[in-house]
Amino acid sequence: MANTSSPMAASSGLPPAEIFKPKPARAAPASTLGIQGWIRQNMFSSIPSAVVTLLGLWIVYAFLDAILTWAVGNAVWEASNRRECLDQVGRSGACWPGVVAWIPNLIYGLYPKDQVWRINLAALVLLVWAVPLWLPRVRSKVEIGLSLVLLFPLLASYLFLGGEKGAIWSALIALGLAAFLWALLTTATEMTTGLSFTRFVVGAVGASNRSEEASRRIGFAALLLVYAVAFVAVQGMALSLVQTRLWGGLFLTTVISGIGIAFSLPAGIVLALARRSRMPLISLLATAFIELFRSVPLITILFMFNTMLPLFLPVGVEVNQLLRAIVAVCLFAAAYMAEVVRGGLQAIPRGQYEAASAMGLGFWQATGLVIMPQALKIMIPTIVGNFIGLFKDTTLVSIIGLFDLLSMARAVGEDTRWLGLFLEPFFFVTMIYFVACFGMSQYSLNLEQRLSAGERR
Amino acid sequence: MALLDITAQAGPGARLMALLNNARFRSVLYQALTLGCVVLLFWYLVSNTIENMSQRDMSAGFDFLGVSAGFGIGFTLIPYREGDTYLRVFMVGIANTLLVAVVAIVLSTLLGLVVGLARLSSNWVIRNVARWYIEILRNTPLLLQIIAWYFGVFTLLPRPRDSVGWLDAVFLNNRGLYIPAPLVGSGFTVALVALLLGIAGAFAWTRFARREREQAGRIRPVIAPVLALLVVPPLLAALVAGAPLAWDMPQLRGFNFVGGINIPPSFCALIIALSIYTSCFIGENVRSGVQSVSRGQTEAARALGVPPGRTMRSIILPQALRVIIPPLISQYLNITKNSSLAIAIGFPDLVSVWMNTSLNQSGRAIPIVAMTMGFYCLVSLAVSLAMNRYNRAILIRER
Repeated sequence: MANTSSPMAASSGLPPAEIFKPKPARAAPASTLGIQGWIRQNMFSSIPSAVVTLLGLWIVYAFLDAILTWAVGNAVWEASNRRECLDQVGRSGACWPGVVAWIPNLIYGLYPKDQVWRINLAALVLLVWAVPLWLPRVRSKVEIGLSLVLLFPLLASYLFLGGEKGAIWSALIALGLAAFLWALLTTATEMTTGLSFTRFVVGAVGASNRSEEASRRIGFAALLLVYAVAFVAVQGMALSLVQTRLWGGLFLTTVISGIGIAFSLPAGIVLALARRSRMPLISLLATAFIELFRSVPLITILFMFNTMLPLFLPVGVEVNQLLRAIVAVCLFAAAYMAEVVRGGLQAIPRGQYEAASAMGLGFWQATGLVIMPQALKIMIPTIVGNFIGLFKDTTLVSIIGLFDLLSMARAVGEDTRWLGLFLEPFFFVTMIYFVACFGMSQYSLNLEQRLSAGERR
Repeated sequence: MALLDITAQAGPGARLMALLNNARFRSVLYQALTLGCVVLLFWYLVSNTIENMSQRDMSAGFDFLGVSAGFGIGFTLIPYREGDTYLRVFMVGIANTLLVAVVAIVLSTLLGLVVGLARLSSNWVIRNVARWYIEILRNTPLLLQIIAWYFGVFTLLPRPRDSVGWLDAVFLNNRGLYIPAPLVGSGFTVALVALLLGIAGAFAWTRFARREREQAGRIRPVIAPVLALLVVPPLLAALVAGAPLAWDMPQLRGFNFVGGINIPPSFCALIIALSIYTSCFIGENVRSGVQSVSRGQTEAARALGVPPGRTMRSIILPQALRVIIPPLISQYLNITKNSSLAIAIGFPDLVSVWMNTSLNQSGRAIPIVAMTMGFYCLVSLAVSLAMNRYNRAILIRER
């Protein structure tokens, strides 16, 4: 009926039916818009919520106020000993001069002050070596990264330790230096011409249209030349010996955790593959090792190696304390990393293994080319989490008598000039650890998002 | 057979290749090689150790366990006197380690639950306070936190004379925390029996309520009756038997407190640092567990008219617990292992009294290291067995 009624109405002289026009929506109430609306929704949505918000704001205020008053407001910046600080503000403000005076020790430990440039140089080399990894035009990132992890320690070992170098050690140091030079050269050529260093040399000598075999030989010769230059340079270096018992502070913490990290990833991969192996004996041995090291606290492993490593080695072989700690940390980290890698491997669907087999890939090819790259990508957050854990765990070496960052912070309060100054160095050291660990975790989040960009379409 | 025939004709070189390419042979070969390497390594280490020990006149026997240790221990849960045997020292260490672990587990679970729920709050302020609490505390080393609490807080407390008191019963000063000690009186057994009966009654009521709900669909109150059953019988018994429990109050005499229980500052610092540090990890577990339950579950429950509290208790939590519990257990294991950091502030836990003091005194490195590691291995083995059972029990049963 409704259909027929309107023409009739039109013919009977009534005003034509209005065409429906939606009214414009009313503007949302001001209380739900903008900053005001956001605050209302997220902080004062109900009375309990408002109470909790005010309580939370008060806690934040009280906390920040207390910290800032102590660390900045009432702090003393100039004094020659703790007594002067106490006379000025008592305990209500921080006494920073003690920390400032100890900063060289906190960073380098007891390393001779005139030799500290060696540590700085190594840090600079590390930084320069790592820069190409972030340059988009560099294509040999994997090679540069691998050479960094595997060969930088060779170069750094001499810079840090110094002293007499035998023939083998010289060759190894030269290898580290040559790898550094190669990384620099290949970065330079790839940034300018897009060719890797060896390809560039082949082109430069005008042999680019020669056979594959010949150009490879020329590239190899170029690398040999770099090594020879490095070897001569190493022969020319003569650094004085710095005993490892003088190593300390942030430097020592970085050395121990760096070696632990560099060792744990490859060792963890091997252990995880061994544990998943179908050969019962190998799987059993790997499982026993992993479970033993994971079920006991790190401190007991450190104690064990500290007391037992001298017993394990032939009579008369002396192992310094730093090496004992490093061995313990490496084995401990490897066991944890193995479980991380195993978790990543388990997340790869069976189809991937089967597809790799179907393509005719053997075990090592399938693992190296198909399974591991996928597994490592999934594992990045956990691996970084593990690294952070290791970096924090290196504080334990202070218990067996090494002078890491934490021991150095404790030593400030035992210095006769700054007797009893504990809170300030702890605060400073806490900031260092926090910045390092928080930075790493944020970077891993960022990396994870970039790598999984392909899955979020 | 045919393959073997061909290779037999092809000569010894080809036969060797065929053998090397045989998967089973290779597997046996690799395992034999690995075993050989491991045995060689062990033989090398053991022979070196034997030689080193004979040179240093050390012994690997366990006979020292019966010898008097001859050192005092500052804080013991089980009775210990100076002059007790090494075995007793080992026991004391284990008891102290377990005490720290249990107290820290309870506190960190409570704190972690609060932090995790705060992290999920719809309130922006609370969410972010919880977030930064977690970020700051889990990104700094635990050992640093323990030492900071000990040297930065507990040793800086006032002397006993000016201690911080609460209700004249609890005192805090630089010698630790003093709390009243319960003194067991005559009617204590009666009250204890009443308490046990109450617990049994509470269990029975919970079972009854669950059966009623599952079979008849009747919902019975649970929390109030259980609380009543736990509180009323012991109180009644105590009134009838006439105050079986007296309190030994700590009192200031001269320079120090007498009476009550003294909890040393190292214990307080260790417990606080461990609980706070672990609560961050537990909080994150709780958050990810609750977030793992799909929103549809909440919406379905609301659509069926289930009230919000009951939705959380009966629908979300049981499903979230499936995700929360396994990492929670491994955090408990971490607490047990991390309690060994007590050595840095001188609290006498297993590692401190056994692997440090006893080892240095007796020089029996091998048995002592083996016993310490054995204890931790045993704990983690027991926990992982329990966890496997739990994981089997909560597997989602599909049709």
